Amino acid sequence: MNDTRARLSKCFAAVFPDLTEEDIVRASISSVGGWDSLASVTLLSALEEEFALQIDPEELEHLVSFDLILDYLQHEHQLS
Amino acid sequence: MTLVDALTLVSKNPKPTGADTVAVTLACGFTPLHLQTFLSAELRLRFPAHHVQVATGLYDDIPGTLRDACHQRLDAVAVILEWSDLDARLGIRRLGGWSPEHADSILDHVATRLAELGRLVERVSQTSPLVMSLPTLPLPPLFSAAGWQTSANEARLRAAVWAFAAEVAASPRVRIISDAMLSLMSPSTERLSVKGTWLSGFPYKTSHAARLAELLAGAIQNPQPKKGLITDLDDTLWRGIVGDDGARNVTWDLDHQSQGHGVYQQFLNTLAEEGVLVAVASKNEPRIVDEVFSREDVILSRERVFPLVVNWASKAQSVSRVLELWNVTADAVVFVDDNPTELAEVKEAHPGIECLRFPHDADAIYQLLVQLRDLFGRNAVSNEDMIRRASLRARAIAVEADGDAEGFSESLLEHADAELTLDFEKDPADARALALLNKTNQFNLNGKRMTERAWADFLADRRTFLLTVGYKDRFGPLGKIAVAGGRIADDAVQIDFWVMSCRAFARRIEHQCLRALFERFPGRPIAFDFVETQRNAPLARFLIDISRSTPVPGLRVTAESFEATCPRLFHRVAIREETGI
Repeated sequence: MNDTRARLSKCFAAVFPDLTEEDIVRASISSVGGWDSLASVTLLSALEEEFALQIDPEELEHLVSFDLILDYLQHEHQLS
Repeated sequence: MTLVDALTLVSKNPKPTGADTVAVTLACGFTPLHLQTFLSAELRLRFPAHHVQVATGLYDDIPGTLRDACHQRLDAVAVILEWSDLDARLGIRRLGGWSPEHADSILDHVATRLAELGRLVERVSQTSPLVMSLPTLPLPPLFSAAGWQTSANEARLRAAVWAFAAEVAASPRVRIISDAMLSLMSPSTERLSVKGTWLSGFPYKTSHAARLAELLAGAIQNPQPKKGLITDLDDTLWRGIVGDDGARNVTWDLDHQSQGHGVYQQFLNTLAEEGVLVAVASKNEPRIVDEVFSREDVILSRERVFPLVVNWASKAQSVSRVLELWNVTADAVVFVDDNPTELAEVKEAHPGIECLRFPHDADAIYQLLVQLRDLFGRNAVSNEDMIRRASLRARAIAVEADGDAEGFSESLLEHADAELTLDFEKDPADARALALLNKTNQFNLNGKRMTERAWADFLADRRTFLLTVGYKDRFGPLGKIAVAGGRIADDAVQIDFWVMSCRAFARRIEHQCLRALFERFPGRPIAFDFVETQRNAPLARFLIDISRSTPVPGLRVTAESFEATCPRLFHRVAIREETGI
């Protein structure tokens, strides 16, 4: 597992402590019951702190699954 | 602490189990979001065995949250004030206008809101301790002055807030977060999150929320201050080696670039006046040390220091002697010395003691004083604090005169002219009883501690009783030195907690307490909720003496068997009955 993926998993595990490792990699706003607007903001803050970056709030509406966020980090912020 | 760390800690919160809950209400006008998370996490660190519950109120309604809190008994209420809570026009989420003509109206509204909050803070603090932070975020650029200038309106706003703070901070149950400490931990430019304010209504950068929560949790925990400080002399209390340089040539002033030692002496004087025990442990000739303390320019006066242990024994032995005379445990004491070897030796002999090195660098000396202030900090100086030093000194002199370190002789007890006040009043305003319970180790029935909330619950329970004990004799007053509490069961008087200050040992006060309980609740045995701890051997020995058996949980003693073992008691006893039942 690469570094970005592992660190992203750590953020998900902190924000959604009830998810298993398998749940996390498949997580999306439609599959996780507790993923509401406050959870989105918490996840955004955790990501900004973990990866030392700023995320435009407008991106939030697109960052709705583990895979999409991983893709965003790898391509928009060149994290491997 | 990072947000991920905090979330992880909070997710491991133990399940609620009644008395083991730390219940806090967080009153803030914004979305509490990460501040609630960080506060919960910091409380988890400080109360690892407890379930932590941080409840919040409605958005933008601090007064409503405080009104609700008035009807609850909580471990603490944390109030987070920001400018926008005092007038929404002082924030950036509402567009109420920043016209110059609004300035007077804003000032009037802030004054009205602060007056309302002051009344609510007073009401809440009657049922729960309250911690509060004053506005931490910058004022928005609404006034006409440039950012490098403080306008008259800004000064008026800040003056109103500080006047409010001065008023509410006078209550011993209100603790205001230090603005200066917060500035050190969280620079003002790293606090406001404009994005967060507009996105979610949470105005703090994550790092600011973390640091503010850390300070709030510390204020909620309100740790017990240390009781005593033992200091070295050479290159610590003064610059120089008095044995080599002579009593006239050690210094503590600006002229000799040794002002740090003078400020340290001044600080120790202050601690002593606040009731902290101050002693000296030094390898020196007593005669030459006496010469220094007789100098007219000495700042720490000889009378403030007790005992002065000056000899050629090891520092560890000297510290042991001080602890013996004070009759306090090492973990309540700080030892200051410039020599790292001496510090290490003392630490090895007394692992619980806090050892601090007196530095040579001027800035480091100042930081040492700041650190000491934190270790000895208390909300207010009480009468009990003021008499502690005098009473310990009198006790030590009496023990030395009597030549019996274990206890006073029959003759000394008989002629001590001792007077006990046994008070059955349950007084919620008396903070001393709870403080005694929470810091006493040796004469302690079971090591049980109570939060302020649990204490208030105990006092409010009509089935419980409380006994607090005051003592004085011809050597001086000891103040309130013991507290016992429990409940009346069908077949016994159940004692749930019982502590007595080590300053009061060997005076048979514990016997008088039991006699008073047998007389107050006649016909019932006393059942002790005894639990052996690492430190409560003195109480265990007492129970062995009166029961002639090894103490066990639930040990029962009857009045008849107690009187058969009770030695002669010489105290005059005054009893204050409980009122309000």
